[in-house]
Amino acid sequence: MAKQLGFYFDSSACTGCKACAIACKDRSSLPVGTNWRHITDYGGGGWVPDPNHPDLLIANNIYVYSLSTSCMHCEDPACVNVCPTTAMYKRDDGIVLVDASKCIGCRYCEWACPYGAPQFSEEKGVMTKCDFCQDLQAQGLDPACVDACPMRALEFGELDELRAKYGDVQAVDPLPDPNITHPSFVMTPHKNSQPVGSGNGKILTVSGKV
Amino acid sequence: MTGKEWALITFTILAQMSVGAFVVLGIVHFFAARKAGDEQADRLSDMALLAIGPVLVLGLLASFGHLGNPVNAPKAISNLASSWLSREIFSSVTFAVLGAAFALMQWRKIATPALRNAIAWLAALVGLFLVFSMSQVYMLQTQPAWDTFATPVQFFATTFLLGSLAIGSAFVANYAYLKGKDPDCAEAQCSLVRVALKWIALASIVILGVEMISLPLQLSLLASSPSAVAQASAALLFSQFAGLFAVRLVLVFLGAGLLALFVYRYASQPGSESLMGTLAYSAFALVLFSEVVGRFLFYATHLRIGL
Repeated sequence: MAKQLGFYFDSSACTGCKACAIACKDRSSLPVGTNWRHITDYGGGGWVPDPNHPDLLIANNIYVYSLSTSCMHCEDPACVNVCPTTAMYKRDDGIVLVDASKCIGCRYCEWACPYGAPQFSEEKGVMTKCDFCQDLQAQGLDPACVDACPMRALEFGELDELRAKYGDVQAVDPLPDPNITHPSFVMTPHKNSQPVGSGNGKILTVSGKV
Repeated sequence: MTGKEWALITFTILAQMSVGAFVVLGIVHFFAARKAGDEQADRLSDMALLAIGPVLVLGLLASFGHLGNPVNAPKAISNLASSWLSREIFSSVTFAVLGAAFALMQWRKIATPALRNAIAWLAALVGLFLVFSMSQVYMLQTQPAWDTFATPVQFFATTFLLGSLAIGSAFVANYAYLKGKDPDCAEAQCSLVRVALKWIALASIVILGVEMISLPLQLSLLASSPSAVAQASAALLFSQFAGLFAVRLVLVFLGAGLLALFVYRYASQPGSESLMGTLAYSAFALVLFSEVVGRFLFYATHLRIGL
């Protein structure tokens, strides 16, 4: 059994098409307003002086890149630490799950998680979240988001192996500082990605949020 | 900010007021007993003591309002090892049980005064731990507007400000009741109530000072923070919520400052008890309203970092 499963995301390949988020919603029949995976478009830049005519602003350095994120199944999950009922728990293989039979629906995990992963179900009155498609994984299949990506920008597996293969970049702006929860996540940044906390650009759109 | 946060506003304000009232009443009772004896001190404080319990119970009931699945509520104390929310619930229930036990024993004069005293001390300490737990619940690394020194300072300020003024109002009401029943017995009470109100007025002015220092300090801390989210939280108080923020400041200043000053003055003048009483009620009402608005703003202006 894996000791910590994680996601790999290639921001340099992602086109922001949202197929992963739709596949996720479809597989788990999530209602409108509930999204276990989000695509965040982040951008910035503006007019810059032309190298040949420094007094003219005719060139630009405008950029935009997309991030596809779900629950990070963190090594130090804030949601599990603050949950008063222990409904939020971490399994032996590192997957963070919510036991609906214990949840009181206080939504405290929602305040604590910097990834917006725990999602409240108005219908059931309890929290729901990405379960890493544990049912599919048990059958030897891939999580729905991973299989749906037309750019092959998502992968999953043992975190140590993902790190060995892709390095240890865990965040770019606007992702939170990875030291808060130690996400089980590795990424390849986009060529124009901005450092964490720089605030150089701004969030343009987040899928599922108007 | 969702509608459910009214449940949390009600719970935190009422629970803090109960703890503050319990502690303030204990202090007043201690000095009243030294000055005028146990019997007069009990007469001063027993009715007020009985009023604290229902306030706390009301707060606890309100807290259920923010649960999506209240059926599981008893499970909320399952994670004392790492969740401040568990510790908050556990200490609020413990405070309620100890406080109720003490109130019953004190009212019916059950067991020895030493044993009653010990339970009262225990209840007070659990109550103070409850207020501390409440503040820690909000000190999340992902919530910069909450994760500052100001959260515990403001929670304790609310606790003692509302506690003092609530007890002041309870004394005034109790005095009026005693006077109606038996004018003679009210004589000895009269001077006790006046002295107590004087100290309560003084305390509320000092706590107002604490609020007036910690608020601008917190705001400058947020505004000068490198985190854009922290700055945005502070900015909300000066844009979208500027009107309510002004109301909160003006009312607490009027109630805990100006009116408290008048309470102090009339409490020093024998014969002006009814004016003193009206002022004490008004101060309590203004401060209660202001603290509710303040707590509303606390929940309305927090922004989470990250996605």
